[in-house]
This record gives sequence, structure tokens and C-alpha cells, in this order.
Amino acid sequence: MVELGVAKAERAGSAKAPAAAAPYDEMKTARGAVRPHYSALSRRIATLSPDELSERQKTLERFFLLQGITFTVYGAESTTERIIPTDLLPRIIPSEEWSTIEKGLMQRLKALNMFLADIYSAQQILMDGVVPRELVLTTPSYRREMQNLYVPHGAYANVCGSDLIRQPDGAFAVLEDNLRVPSGVSYMLANREAAKRVFPGTFRGAGVRPIERYPDLLLTTLKSMAADWRPNPQVVVLTPGVYNSAYFEHAYLARLMGVPLVEGRDLVVHDNMVYMRTTTGLRRIDVIYRRVDDDFIDPLTFRRDSGLGAAGLFNAYRAGNVVLCNAPGTGVADDKAVYAYVPEIVRYYLGEDVILPNIETYLCREPAQLSHVLANLDKLVVKAVGASGGYGMLVGPHATKAQQAEFADALRADPGNYIAQPTVQLSTAPCLVDHQIEARHVDLRPFILCGEKIVVTPGALTRVALRRGSLVVNSSQGGGSKDTWVLDGERPRP
Amino acid sequence: MMLARVADSLYWIGRYVERAEHVCRLSDVMLTATLDRSESAAQIARIALTAVGDPDRAARPFDAAKALVFDQEDPGSVATSLARARENARQVRDQITTETWERLNLLHLRLRDPKAARTFSEGSQAFLHETVADLHLFKGAADATMSHGEGWRFLLLGVYLERAQLIGALLEVCFGDGRKRVLNDHAALTGLLRMGCALEPYLRVYTADMRPQYILEFLLLDEDFPRSVRFCTARIEEHLSSISRHVEAASAAGPDRLAGRLRSRLQYAQIDEVQAGGPTAFLGAVLDECAAVHRAIYETFVAYPLEQHLPA
Repeated sequence: MVELGVAKAERAGSAKAPAAAAPYDEMKTARGAVRPHYSALSRRIATLSPDELSERQKTLERFFLLQGITFTVYGAESTTERIIPTDLLPRIIPSEEWSTIEKGLMQRLKALNMFLADIYSAQQILMDGVVPRELVLTTPSYRREMQNLYVPHGAYANVCGSDLIRQPDGAFAVLEDNLRVPSGVSYMLANREAAKRVFPGTFRGAGVRPIERYPDLLLTTLKSMAADWRPNPQVVVLTPGVYNSAYFEHAYLARLMGVPLVEGRDLVVHDNMVYMRTTTGLRRIDVIYRRVDDDFIDPLTFRRDSGLGAAGLFNAYRAGNVVLCNAPGTGVADDKAVYAYVPEIVRYYLGEDVILPNIETYLCREPAQLSHVLANLDKLVVKAVGASGGYGMLVGPHATKAQQAEFADALRADPGNYIAQPTVQLSTAPCLVDHQIEARHVDLRPFILCGEKIVVTPGALTRVALRRGSLVVNSSQGGGSKDTWVLDGERPRP
Repeated sequence: MMLARVADSLYWIGRYVERAEHVCRLSDVMLTATLDRSESAAQIARIALTAVGDPDRAARPFDAAKALVFDQEDPGSVATSLARARENARQVRDQITTETWERLNLLHLRLRDPKAARTFSEGSQAFLHETVADLHLFKGAADATMSHGEGWRFLLLGVYLERAQLIGALLEVCFGDGRKRVLNDHAALTGLLRMGCALEPYLRVYTADMRPQYILEFLLLDEDFPRSVRFCTARIEEHLSSISRHVEAASAAGPDRLAGRLRSRLQYAQIDEVQAGGPTAFLGAVLDECAAVHRAIYETFVAYPLEQHLPA
């Protein structure tokens, strides 16, 4: 299973929380009128009976099952495979909204890569005191080993999958910048393939911008990272193996790019060169699109108990004989505490205001903010900086007094380890649930590529909280996904 | 050029798929025959179950067949073979076409379906027939949509090597020296041909004259029948020599030398000589050489020593 949601129990906002406005409805205005970009789909749905809709939903699910786009559920008695819940009604984004998103994403990734290049070399931003030095250098995802290492084009994060949400006022904001090994892009592509089968007529008339070039653009990006003196760089995708939840995606991307899908055991490092074992001997590798976390890529440099990477890989990287994409250590730029500084980081490097804003974030390491957080524990979501996957987190409005008191103690003991955010209201989109159409909360994960240049694919993975009222889009907690149509902005064709 | 691990997986997909098909066919012939309660029916059940290494279950052919198809504990069952083939296919999903993958995935899903056992009980013949037909579709899809390059050749190497060994083992059960008396029963001989999917092609060559020696000759030495051991060994040699062209070290230590010797053993054998020396001796040599080819493939293409290949 692809971790569709990065376990966002923290998104579990509540109507009880004060200042929680009604969520933004993607299809209808507050007065109940259908927004223009949804009108064609809305008309089409109106002509279909619940049975016909369910029939299409079945077609969709069969497509996923046949393609083997499944995750494994390990049960007590038997092991079964399930498809990721997928909703057949597309989420539609008009072109002018998309162009803001696109500009905002490019701006952020550009600035974050400049930030990474800076902190792994001169550390000017730390000297100037824009971001506190100890905050950056004590983050576990800061990799000392990356210091003063040449990275082509300064592109540390080559593949980025940001999590956006639409706030009640209709504006998009960034909840998280994922710069490590973001997943989900195969679902974006598979959802599109499926949607074309389910709503061919509506699709044709809508003027949806194509996303099918993603694998091609990814390959171009990866190749642009290879050294100039290697004219025909050998690119590979490195996967942890078939038991990884995102294995389908690794194989899918390798297949569509036409490059080998390798595992750690296929690799041999000799004399600071990386080779793969082929039937005709060893073959040199130039660029590795690695889908293995930093910790596991090289037992000699990082975790010694890892069998997923290759011994000596990092030294080969340092020697400039192979390129790892994304670079190790990019996690420092999507760290939860560093996140709070992204608007300043953008201003520092680009001299611009941030286009896609952050969610308001309180840093508990600042005494004034800590006291505000302590006073409002019942309204805020508190997260441990180093933790992910929903651990080490307090969802204030849903927590008991005892839990709040426990967290208050933890906060006072180690304030630097915590941040707090208001509960976030996600927008809603129509979904087919139990044979009828109901509104469900959604977020948006677009994918940005950065090598020689930055490219944003005009599409995204829309993750859906399929349970009524739920704000959790994580696939392990009843979350699903749906296709996302970015319109080309021309007049609708008949 | 392809990853050694990937070549290994493709080879095993071929082997597992062929094994699944063979077991389906044995089960089908056995179940169809044992609808009669004749002595020949019992004999067919014994042949089929001895060939899969489980002669003790011949008294209850239906249960035996059901286990052969569905038992997930049994490493030789159809369900296990297909699960393993698909697991291998999943690991090389980037190397096989979507059309080929879909067939294998469907087969696996059918065997894993909780309702499958009931469908089987209600009509084993239809179930097995469909499974075999889908396996043919898989091979057809591979043939029609995959590039006929290295990967495809590794897949077929697995298919033909497995087939040579399975047919060889079946012939050993029917004609080997271990038998107390010669297999001479008309129904049993027909059953044997069906197990090799050879009845109709046999009839075209030898007419309805069922003789043990003819059948042995046909399944062992026929040049054109795709399930004869000779045909399989010719394909093994063909695919191996094509793959080996790119490997400098291969020819000397070579699987293709072994494959060439095996092929010529069958190409120039005469049925009289085979009978005179005893089929067991001949079949034993063939099966041993198949095993040697299998080992040589692994040592040459998959688990070769790195020292030979490292740049100086």
C-alpha cells in the first residue's frame, strides 16, 4: 500500500473548535450553485442512475485489480490483497487556480533547494540568523555527511510531492513539503487511466491537461543530474523490494521510463563505482532514483543493520561517480520546525513573498509561543518535530484533560521538540459512497520535478477521507484517492 | 543485457507456469477417467499421482486432485505454482508487458478466490479446462506482446526445461524398469497421451493403433510435437545459444555445451536402442542432463563469481 496519507490524524479538525468556518466545497458555492468548472460533470452525473454509477465504480475497481495495483493485508488466517479505495468522480481545478499553485510550488522548491545548497556549504542563512543554527543542525534528517558535496544544478530534491489543502476561504496552503522520497505519483497516473475509461465523454469535452508525460519528464530530470562526461547515463530505480508498500509504484515508474528496477542485492560497489549484476556481467550505473530512505541506502555510512542499500554507495556518491536522487539529507528542509521558517527562507533567497502560504505554526522553542500553546492545548494540534506517521501527537479538541496534562508536561520538559498548529479544515468534494453522492474531505498532492529546470506536472493526487466527517486521508485509515483534472482554460467544447 | 535477478525470475515464471499446466492436465485426465470404476481408471490415477510423487492417494482421486490444485502447503500444487509465478512476475513487473501480466494475475486471482474450491467441486472439468486455457493465453500473450529478446528467452528456457523434466518423469513412471508389468491397457495408454496433451497429434502419426513403444517414441523422440522431450531440448539449445552469444565466459563452462549434448542425444536416438538398453537408463541420463543444464544456467548467468567481471 502506498502511504497515501502521511498519517494525518492531526488533520482531524473538529466542528467544535472555535473559528472553524464551514469547509470550502469544491463543486458548489456557499449558495448552492454549481461552480462553472464543475457544471459538465454535474450534468453528466445527473443523467446516471445510482446503479449506473455503481457499475462504473466496479469497472474502475476491476481496472485496478487487473493491473495489480493492490496492497497486501496480512490477516491471522489468510493474506489477501486489496485495491486502494478509489473514487470515480474526478476533482476539478480550473486553470487560473492551477497557475497560482504552479507558481507557488516552483517558488517553494527553488527556495528550498537553495536553502539545502546553503546549509550543506557556507551556511550563510544560519550566519545571518534567519533560521536558528541549532534548529537546523540538531534535526535528525540533517546529514553531516553531505557537507561540501557537489550536487549538480544545486538540485538536492529532484522529486517533491507537496501536500496542499484548501482553506475555508478558498485559498490553497501548504501543509507539508515532502522532499525525501514522496510517493503516490503512480496513483495519479493510474487514476487518470481509469477515469478516461469511466467518463470518456465528459473527459473529452472538459479540456483536461495531460499528465502522461510524467515518466518521460522524470527520466529527463534524472538524466540531467548525470555528469557531463557520461553521455549516455545509465539510470536505475532502487527499490527496497517487493514487500515495500510502494513497490507497485517503483516497478511502474521503472517500466514507464524503460530503466532497470534494482534492489540493493543487485548492486556492487567497486573502487567507488556502482555496478549492477546483469546476465552478461557488471554494468556501471550513473544515476540512482532511490526509493529507499536515507538511513538505509548504505550500511557503511548510515544504518549498519540495513540490507536494503549497497555498502560503499555513499562514498561512490561523494566521489562523484554516481548521483543519488533525491540527495540524502533533503529531509532537513521539510522538517516540521524548519517548515515554520519557509516564508522567511523564500524571502531570504528570492526576495519574494511566498505565494502558497503555510498553516500557522507555533514553535514551542520560543517561550512566548510555548505559553500560548500551553494556554490553548484544547484547541491546537501539537506534533513532535522528529516523529511522523501520527505518533507523538496531540489533537487538542479530541483529547481528554489527562492527555492534555501529560502533553503539557512533555512540552515544558523539551519544548524544542514540539510545534503546534490550529486544527485544519479541509475542503470537500463530491464522492460516490454507498451508491450515492456525498461530500468528503480532500487534500491535494501535486508532484514537482527539479533537475536542470523545475517542472510541475499539471495534475495531482487528490486524497479523500472516505469516512463521513473524517479529515484523515491516510489510506490505512479509510482514505482513498481520486483523479484530479486540471483544466486548460479554453472554452468548454461541446 | 538484463539484471541477473530479473533473468532468474523470468526463468522461474516459465518453470512454474509449465508446472501448473502439467498438474492441471494430470488432474483433469485422472478425474475424467475415474468417473468409471474400472481397473484402467485406477491405473490412470496411479500413474498421475506417482508422477507427482504421491501414489498413496490413488484410492481417493477427487480429494487428491483437489489438493493438487488448491493445497497451499503443497509446493507442487497449481495454486502454489501460480502464486510463485505471479510473485516472481511482480518482482519483474517492469520487464513483462501489461498483457502478459494481466493473464497471470487473473489466473492467480482465480485460484485464490474463496469460491474457487466450490466451483471446482461443482465442475472440476470446466474449472481445469479454463485454467489450462488461460495458461495458454498467458503464453500466447508473452509470445505476441513481449520482445523476443533475452528476457523472453529466459522465460521460455524455464518452460521447456520444466516440460522436458515433467514429461521425462511421466515416461519413467509408465515405461521405467520399476514397473511390474508392461503398461498395455488401451484406456490407460490413451490417458497417458492425454496427460501429455498428445492424443490428437499421436493419432495423426500412428493412427488409433495404441502401442506402448509408439507412445514412448512419440513423447520422447518426435521432432515436431511440442511436448516431446526431443522438441523441448532443441528449444532449450536454441534459446541458450542465443543468450550465450553475449557472454564471453559462458560457452566454455557452458550451459550451451550441455544443452547441445542433450539435444543430440535425443536427436540421434532410436527407439529400438532405447528399449534395448532399458528406458530407465536412457530417461535417467536425460533427466540428469536437464538438471545439469539448470545448474549451469544459474552459475553462468545469475550467481557467477564477481572476480571474473570486475574491471582491473
